[in-house]
Amino acid sequence: MKRQASWSLLLIMILLVTGCAGKRELNELALVMAVGIDKGEGENAFKVTAQIARPADARGQTGAPSGQTGEPIYTIVGQGESLFDAIRDLSSISSRNVFWAHNQVIVISEELAKEGISQVIDFFTRNPELRMRTWIVITPEEASTLVSTVTGLELIPGEAVNKLFRYGKISTVAPNTQILDVQAAYLSQSSQPIMARVTLKEVMISNKKPEKGPTIKQVDLAGAGVFKEDRLVGILKPEETRVLMLFTEGLQSGVVTTACKDKPERTIGVELRDQMFEVTPHLKDGQISFTAQLDAYAMVVEAGCPFTIDDQKQVAELEKAIEKELKKEIDTTVDKLQKEYKTDVIELGKVFQNEYPGYWNQISDNWAEVFPTVDIKAFVNVEITDSVLLWEETNSGKKENSAD
Amino acid sequence: MTSVEEKNTFFRDLQDNEELMTEILGGSVDLVKRRITFHEHKNVQALCYYTDGLADVTHIEQFISDLLYKGNLLLQHATLPTDNPLTLLKEHMLSSASFQVIKEVGQAVDGILSGVAVLILDGSNDVFLIQTKGWEKRGVDEPQTEQVVRGPRDGFTESIRTNTALVRRRIRDPKLRIEQMTVGKRSKTDVNIAYIGDIVKEGLVEEVKKRINDINIDAILESGYIEELIEDAPRSPFTTVQSTERPDKVASSLLEGRVAIFVDNTPFVLVVPSFFWQFLQASDDYYSRWMTGSFFRAIRYLAFVLSLTLTSIYVMLVSFHQEMIPTQLILTIASGREVVPFPVLLEALLMETAFELMREAGLRMPKPVGQAVSIVGSLVIGQAAVQAGIVSPFMVIIVALTGIASFAIPNYAASFSIRLIRFPLLIAAGMLGLLGFSAMFALLAIHALTLRSFGESYLAPATPFQPKDQKDSIIRFPWWKMQARPMGVTGDEKRVGDNQFPEPPNTDPYSDEAGNRDEDNQKGRDQSKRKKSRHIIKLKGDDEE
Amino acid sequence: MKVQISNGMFFALIINMIYAKAIGVTQGSMAREIGGDIWISTLIATVQGTVIMSLVIFVIRRMPEGDLIDQSERLFGKWFGKFVALITFIFFLAAFGPIMSTFIFHLKDYFLPEAPILLFICAAFLIGTYAIFFGLEVIARMALIGVFSIIALNILLMLGTLPEFDIRELRPTFQMGFIKTVWASRHHNADWAMATIMAGIILPMVGDKKSWGKMGFAGIAYGMVFVIMWPILEAGVLSPETAAQYIVSCMQMARSAQIGYFVHRYEMIMVAFFALSMLTQIMMSLLCASVAMQKILGLKDYRKVIIPTALILSTFGYWINFNKNRAVDFLEGWWVYISVGVAVVLPMMILVLGFFFKKKLKKKIVAEEAK
Repeated sequence: MKRQASWSLLLIMILLVTGCAGKRELNELALVMAVGIDKGEGENAFKVTAQIARPADARGQTGAPSGQTGEPIYTIVGQGESLFDAIRDLSSISSRNVFWAHNQVIVISEELAKEGISQVIDFFTRNPELRMRTWIVITPEEASTLVSTVTGLELIPGEAVNKLFRYGKISTVAPNTQILDVQAAYLSQSSQPIMARVTLKEVMISNKKPEKGPTIKQVDLAGAGVFKEDRLVGILKPEETRVLMLFTEGLQSGVVTTACKDKPERTIGVELRDQMFEVTPHLKDGQISFTAQLDAYAMVVEAGCPFTIDDQKQVAELEKAIEKELKKEIDTTVDKLQKEYKTDVIELGKVFQNEYPGYWNQISDNWAEVFPTVDIKAFVNVEITDSVLLWEETNSGKKENSAD
Repeated sequence: MTSVEEKNTFFRDLQDNEELMTEILGGSVDLVKRRITFHEHKNVQALCYYTDGLADVTHIEQFISDLLYKGNLLLQHATLPTDNPLTLLKEHMLSSASFQVIKEVGQAVDGILSGVAVLILDGSNDVFLIQTKGWEKRGVDEPQTEQVVRGPRDGFTESIRTNTALVRRRIRDPKLRIEQMTVGKRSKTDVNIAYIGDIVKEGLVEEVKKRINDINIDAILESGYIEELIEDAPRSPFTTVQSTERPDKVASSLLEGRVAIFVDNTPFVLVVPSFFWQFLQASDDYYSRWMTGSFFRAIRYLAFVLSLTLTSIYVMLVSFHQEMIPTQLILTIASGREVVPFPVLLEALLMETAFELMREAGLRMPKPVGQAVSIVGSLVIGQAAVQAGIVSPFMVIIVALTGIASFAIPNYAASFSIRLIRFPLLIAAGMLGLLGFSAMFALLAIHALTLRSFGESYLAPATPFQPKDQKDSIIRFPWWKMQARPMGVTGDEKRVGDNQFPEPPNTDPYSDEAGNRDEDNQKGRDQSKRKKSRHIIKLKGDDEE
Repeated sequence: MKVQISNGMFFALIINMIYAKAIGVTQGSMAREIGGDIWISTLIATVQGTVIMSLVIFVIRRMPEGDLIDQSERLFGKWFGKFVALITFIFFLAAFGPIMSTFIFHLKDYFLPEAPILLFICAAFLIGTYAIFFGLEVIARMALIGVFSIIALNILLMLGTLPEFDIRELRPTFQMGFIKTVWASRHHNADWAMATIMAGIILPMVGDKKSWGKMGFAGIAYGMVFVIMWPILEAGVLSPETAAQYIVSCMQMARSAQIGYFVHRYEMIMVAFFALSMLTQIMMSLLCASVAMQKILGLKDYRKVIIPTALILSTFGYWINFNKNRAVDFLEGWWVYISVGVAVVLPMMILVLGFFFKKKLKKKIVAEEAK
């Protein structure tokens, strides 16, 4: 017993002496909040921009008074032949260890994305310090500019972009693309990656010079980039992205605005909810086709012209108009993807594979050529069920005067 | 001295006896010797020994005056000179309850030292022991270490008789046995073993007696001595013997088939065997309503986990696994740590030490000073240390939370052992992160799993998992559900009868049972049984339809 | 002195023995071969595992006082017994490689990437030797806690990943054909083999002889229920391609699990639960190897050989895991053949030989009882 005790004690001591391996104190870490990746100078070079948080400035004084700079972020740029090289370059600039686990967003410049991002995907999924739930976006600007732009209500822009994604469900203008999804789509045989797209827009009005209008640039999340394998091949506009999200994310809600029948200069807005979207593949004589069926309930949220849900005829007309609008949206987007970009980001291959695995095995190798030729029919069915709080039409009380 | 050791019984001659006693007892000031003379003519003499302070002097005075009066009467009327005066006295004095005749010297000496008065008469080798024990003692008070909101307020005292009486008052069962033992070569401390004969697990009492008999020590000053000498895991930080100040706790343990060990001169009574989870259970659990009882118990389990692991987990997260902390939180922690010069482990050890210091100081100081200590301590540690940038505010919160959690554990001994094992865990976590933490935790868990307390697994009923005993582990089941005594009890396994679920008479006017109310009341508890059977019949009827 | 464990503990040991490696490493290996059908392959392996397990239970039941090694010793004498003991030892020696791989891949790669491998081997060595010094009962009780932690882990993971679940990834079934799917089940079979041979060593110490079979099957059934969740989720949440991409795909899933938007980054809690089952596996393989070693040397007590055995096993574990390629190649190649081979051939051989030499066996038992 005694000998055993001393043995274990000795072993514990050895463990403890060799210990402290991999230990890094929190205040020795530079917490990266966002990272931008650009093409570097020269062939195959990368430029990595890291947005690092200054905790004392980001949170204010919580403990002992410490010197504050008033600038919550610290952005530095590293260059290298590879991503790893560029990141090593960062650590020669940063006074603290660069720590990636709290990175919120990866921004890739479109310039780089057009040349292929497989190296980026590999690096960000191979490294244990990086989280799979990080947002990954493309931008037409320099990624380094975007990363160093102070945006949103948060002190740290990385957090602001993160919240943009999280609470962006209402606007539904960009897909929720995390590195996890991009990786899965890239690895998959039957689908292609997409990425959300951010731009800089002059939308913020300076408090000091309000008369000059919006002059300050903010990060705007809208649209998506579609990829063919690892290359960016095209951009989808926000309304097209909505269609894309129907296919990929099972979007639940959406907003449609349509012109009034009587007064074409005025519009009616409806909110779609409980959308059900189903794509069914068909195989007939070696000919592949798909039908896409969208069912949704709608709620009138705004009416520029008098509207009451009590009027069945009016409701039916509005439903028709919305259906037409939606069908058009779906058709144009799908057409664009098929004819222009020729990439299956809407997971049709996966749907087809599920239904006809045998035939899929024959065509899987040249699905890229088959996809632009397949026929896709969209059917939309909308039912207006709600008019929120109002029942009567919103009409002027001085009706007689205005009528004449 | 040799003569004394050889001499077992008293002499016939008073002179010899006096010499003998002087030789044994020596000249301690608290030993009182009084000479009594009966009947001046016949000049029968007697000696009375007692210990001042241990014996009740008024009682002795009373007795002696009684004795003188009766002795004189007897001697006057003694017809036969051969009559032994002692025999006569004995016959006449037996009316007194606290009166005993003995022969052995040793017994007499032990008696004198434990507060009994010894009367030696001339011309007899029998001596009287007069029960005159009576010393200053503390009254029954509220237990200091285990307080309850609802429940009895009496606690054990330093007097063993009072203590056994407190338990006896709770269990008026002839099967409650209290056995006398004496431990300590010099202290000769009374140790009593209590158990309920037909509930206690077979062999347990014998084992306890054997272990106590094997003790060879000069003095027992507190039950802690006994605890350390009989426990199963002397090298373990865990306590495998429960000590309590509460008579109700002892009574309930006895009813669960355990054995209580009372030790004289201490209010702490030992209960064996004991289980780890027991230390997290308070008497309140059983006295308050079962739902609240269970809730408080759950809080205490949480307190246990927190006090054991919280600091280690914090240190581990902040110095190794920063990716596990939500981003918002880590920025806050980082901003608090911005100016702290120490590694987290050192900071944690610093704070833990400061906390232990404050606790110890507050405990030892007189109460008013103790308060001052805690005020100064909390001000200095809580405010100034953070302001000075020595520790981070987060660490203060963590250590304070850990401290408070450890105070929520009802048993002090257990609370201390958890406090102890927290340090290896903390150091391992701070040195090796998750690997250190999980390895040390596994080692501790394996160690705890190997422990036994008087043959019972220490971690029962969680592991080995005993489904039947789960009614009193995480949730305290209501009494009408908790029918069986814990496992390992021999005989009389049921403690609560069947159908104890209270049901008021049915007053629902729309129910067909309303008319039968009187009948129901008469039948009392059979009601529920009846109801069930009727229900079954109804179901059968449905099937037929 | 004879240690006894309850049937419930036996049940818990079976579950713990297969769980740790099966949920992550095995699924990755299978996904590399058959993609989305990993859950079918897991099911098939479980059926095969049941067959081998019942074989072992049947064999041991014939002579319930001794384990596989004792039985073969009684059949053909000392040297054959030693030979079987040697095979068992090699089996657990080989098993220790993948077990340590699982341990290191989970803890080192994801939590302490900068810590040396030696540290993990030392920790396993320390805990393992400490636990088996106290014998089977302690490990078995640990396994009971392990079952609870497995349940907690499964629930946590399910909460965190179900919203992302995409049934389309699982369809169509038998993408790579039936035969390939069955063939891939060998990876999970290797896990079952470990539980089977362990049962062959510890069964004589399990209390109630009559319900061995029942508890064995219950263990397999529950083990399957706990394990099968993982391939289904891994394929449905991560996509089979991603699962195949990683060495430890379950960890990748745990890392991306999130409950709502605010509870995420909690894989450490899951790994803490996982560690219990992992450690049980380490302890059991050390224990079984020590018992085999004791029988080879013909000692009375296995405690004397704990340290040397553990040293041999740890050295092997270190060597194998020093190079990740070697480690993965071993656990996907050699180990599968060794484990499945031993788990099938050894009981089968003893069973068949036992039939031929039934009389001899009976005579021996009678003779021994007469003594």
